[in-house]
Amino acid sequence: MAGPVGLATAVGLAGLGFFVLAVRRELIFKLLGLHVASGGVGLFLVATGHRPGGIAPILGLGPGPTVDPLPQALVLTAIVIHFATLALALVYVIYLTERHHSQDAHRLEREEE
Amino acid sequence: MLALAGLILWGSFAWGPRPLAPSPAQVTAGYGVRNAVAAVVLGARLWDTLLEVLVFAVAMAGVRFGLSPLPRAGKPTPLPESHLLARMGDVLFAPVAVFSLYLALSGHLGPGGGFPAGAILGSGLLLLALAMGMEPLSRRLHEGTLERLEYGTVAALLGAGVGMGLAGRWGPGWFVAVNLAIALEVAIGAWVVLHRFAAHRGEL
Amino acid sequence: MTAALAGVAAYLVLGTLAFLGRGRWLGAAAWLAGAGALAAWAPGFPETALGPGPWPIRLAGDPVALAFWGLALVLHAAVLWEEWGRGGAFHALVTLLVGTTLALVLSRDLFNLYVCLELTSLLSFLLVGYGARPGAIWASLQYLLLTTAGMILYLFGLGLVYGETGTLALSELAGVGPSPALVVGAGLLLSGAAVKGGVFLLGLWLPRAHGRAPHAISALLSGLVVKMGIVALFRISSALGSGPILAGLGVLTGLGGLIYALWEVDIKYFLAFSTASQLGYLLLGFGLGAPLGATLYAVGHGLFKALLFLGAGKALESAGSRRIPDLAGRLGWPVALALGLGIWSISGLPPLAGFVAKGALEADLPAWGRWLLLAIGAGTAASFAKLLPLLQPVGEGRLKGELVLIPALVALSGWGLASFHLTWAATGKAVAAAALGLILYPLLRRARPRLPRLTLDRAVLGLLAGTLGLTLALVWSRLSVP
Repeated sequence: MAGPVGLATAVGLAGLGFFVLAVRRELIFKLLGLHVASGGVGLFLVATGHRPGGIAPILGLGPGPTVDPLPQALVLTAIVIHFATLALALVYVIYLTERHHSQDAHRLEREEE
Repeated sequence: MLALAGLILWGSFAWGPRPLAPSPAQVTAGYGVRNAVAAVVLGARLWDTLLEVLVFAVAMAGVRFGLSPLPRAGKPTPLPESHLLARMGDVLFAPVAVFSLYLALSGHLGPGGGFPAGAILGSGLLLLALAMGMEPLSRRLHEGTLERLEYGTVAALLGAGVGMGLAGRWGPGWFVAVNLAIALEVAIGAWVVLHRFAAHRGEL
Repeated sequence: MTAALAGVAAYLVLGTLAFLGRGRWLGAAAWLAGAGALAAWAPGFPETALGPGPWPIRLAGDPVALAFWGLALVLHAAVLWEEWGRGGAFHALVTLLVGTTLALVLSRDLFNLYVCLELTSLLSFLLVGYGARPGAIWASLQYLLLTTAGMILYLFGLGLVYGETGTLALSELAGVGPSPALVVGAGLLLSGAAVKGGVFLLGLWLPRAHGRAPHAISALLSGLVVKMGIVALFRISSALGSGPILAGLGVLTGLGGLIYALWEVDIKYFLAFSTASQLGYLLLGFGLGAPLGATLYAVGHGLFKALLFLGAGKALESAGSRRIPDLAGRLGWPVALALGLGIWSISGLPPLAGFVAKGALEADLPAWGRWLLLAIGAGTAASFAKLLPLLQPVGEGRLKGELVLIPALVALSGWGLASFHLTWAATGKAVAAAALGLILYPLLRRARPRLPRLTLDRAVLGLLAGTLGLTLALVWSRLSVP
C-alpha cells in the first residue's frame, strides 16, 4: 500500500512547499519552500515506480517482481540538480541579505528597482 | 489558496496511472552489471547523468565566484574545544573514507554509486574540519589543485562518456571508473561549498 | 548523429575547461568544433537511441534543430566578439550555455529536456547576475525561483505521464489515448516549459531578468535561450497533440507583452517585453501548424533582437541613463545604423527578415491567426516608434558583435525572399501595418494606463494560476471529446 500513500504524501509536500513559496515574505523561507517541494516531487517520482510486492531491482537478489528502476535513476539526477540550484540561490540570498540587511522580499523589490 | 486546491485536485488524478508491466531486471542488466538502477543511470541515461554532473560543476563554480565579492570574515569563531571531537574526528575519518570508496566501487553491484559516495566523503571532510579546524585543513587541500581536478574530471567524464557511449562499449569496468570519477567530483564540490560558506561567514 | 553529439560534447568539454583559464580562446575553439559538427550532420538525422536497453534517450535532427544550431553559432560568435575583453568565467559560462542549447534542440526525450532546461536556467542565472550590476542579483534570484518552481511542476507532469505510459520518449507518446493522468500530466509539462519560455503569465521573470543582465547576455537570452522553452513546448505539444493550447498561450503572451511594451520607459525592460510579445508569434506558429515559419521567425528575431540589445546597451552606457527619452542622439552612426536595421526588421517592413518571416508564418495560419499577427505587428511598430529618436547619429562609433549579426540578418533575409513567394499583397499589408503603428503611436502615448507592477509574489501567483488554467483547459478540451 505504499504506492497511493507515497503519492499523496508527495503531493502534500509539494503543496506545502509551494504555499510557503507564495506566502512567506522572507527569502530564506521561499528557498526552503522550494526545497521541500523538490523533495515532494522526488518522492512522487519514486512512488510511481512502486509495484505491489516488488523488491529492489538488483539482479540476483531473489525471484519475484522488482520495482521500477527508472524513476529512481531520474530522482537521483533530479536531486543533484535541485541541490546545486538551491545552493546557488542561497549564495545570492546571502549576498542580498548582506547588502540590504533584510530578508523581506517586498523591501528588496522596492530597493532593487 | 486557490492554486493550492488546484494542486491537490491534480494529485487525485494520480490514481489514474495504471502501472504498466515493469521491465525485467535482466533486460536492464544487458549492460553487464547487476544493479538495474546503475544500469539505467550510467547506461541508458548516461547523457542525462553527464549533463547533471555538469550542472553540479557549474553550481560549484557559481559558489566560488558568487561568494568572492563578499568580505571574508575576519577571525574565525573558535570551535568548541573538545578533546573528544578532535581525537575521534581524526580517527573516524578513515573509516568514512573507506566506506565512501567501497560505495563507489560497488555501485554497480548493489545500492550505492558515485553520488552517495561523494556526499559521504564530503561529510567525512566536514568531520575532519570539525576535528582539526577549518583553516589547517583548507591549507592542506590546495584550492587551485582541487579546482583543476574538479573541472578536469568533469571534462574528461564528458568526453569519455560520449566517446564510450557512441562506441557502445559497456561493462563493469566502465561503470566503476565513472562511479569513482563522480564520487571525486561530488566530494570536491561538497568541500568547496563547505569551505566557502565557512570562510565567508566565519563559522561552521 | 555522431557528429552532432560530438559537436555538443566538444562545446561542453571546452566550456568546462574554460573555467581554468583562457576562456575566450577555448570558447572560440568550441565554436569551430560546433560549426564543423553542423556541417557534418546537416541536413538532419533520424531519431536514434543513445544506448541499448528499455529507456534510452533519443535524439533527432530536423530542420528546426538545424535552424537553431545556426542561430546559436551566429549569436555565440557575436557575443565572443563583443565581449572579447572579458575575462574570468564569462566565456566559460557562455560557451556552456550555447552548448546546452545545441543539446536541447536535438532532444526527443522528456527527462533529457528537463535536464537541459535546468542547465540553461543555472547558466543563465549566473550570467544575468555576472558582475553584480544594480538590480541584477535580485532579477537573477527571481528568475531562479520561478524557473525552479516551474520545473518542479514539470517533473510532476513527467511522473504522471511516465506512470501512465511507461516511456519517456516523445515519439512513443503520440499514440496514447487521453486518460486523466495523461492529460493532467501534459498540462503540467507544458506549464513547466512555458515558465522557462517566458510566456506572459507564467514567465513573469522575463522582463526583469533580460532587463538587468549585461547587454550581450540580454542579447543571448532573448535571442536564444528563451526560445529553448518554446522549443520544448513545441516538442511536447507535437507529441501530445495540444496545438490549440500553444496557440492560446501565443495570444496571451503576444498581447500581454505588447501592452507592457507600449508604455515602458526603461529601454532594456522595453526590449524584454517586446521579446515576450514576439514569442506570441512563435507559439501561434508552432501551435497552429506552421513550424517552419515559426522557426524562421525565431531565428530572425534572435538576430535582430540581439542587434537591438547591443545598440541599446551602447546608448545606455554612453548616456548613463536607462530611460528612453534620455537616450536620444547618443550613438555613433555605425551603431545607429545597426539599431535602425533592428527596428526596421522587427516592424516587419520589407525586405528584411522580419517581413520575410512573418510572411512565411502567415502562409500557414488560419484567417483569425493572420488578423492577430497583423494586429500585433501594428502594435509592435507602434511600440518601436519610441526608439526613433535614438537614431540620430552623433559622431563615430565602433561595431563589434554587430558585424556578425548584420551579415547574418541580410543573408537570412535574402534566403527567405528567394525561398518563399511573397506577394505584393503581403508587402502592402506589412507596410500598412507598420504605418498604422506609427500613426497610432502618438495617440497611444497620451493614454497612460497604470499597469500592475510585476513583483515576485505576483509572478508566483501568475505561475500557479497559469498552470491551473492551462491544465484545466487541457482537461476540458480532451475529456469532453471521447
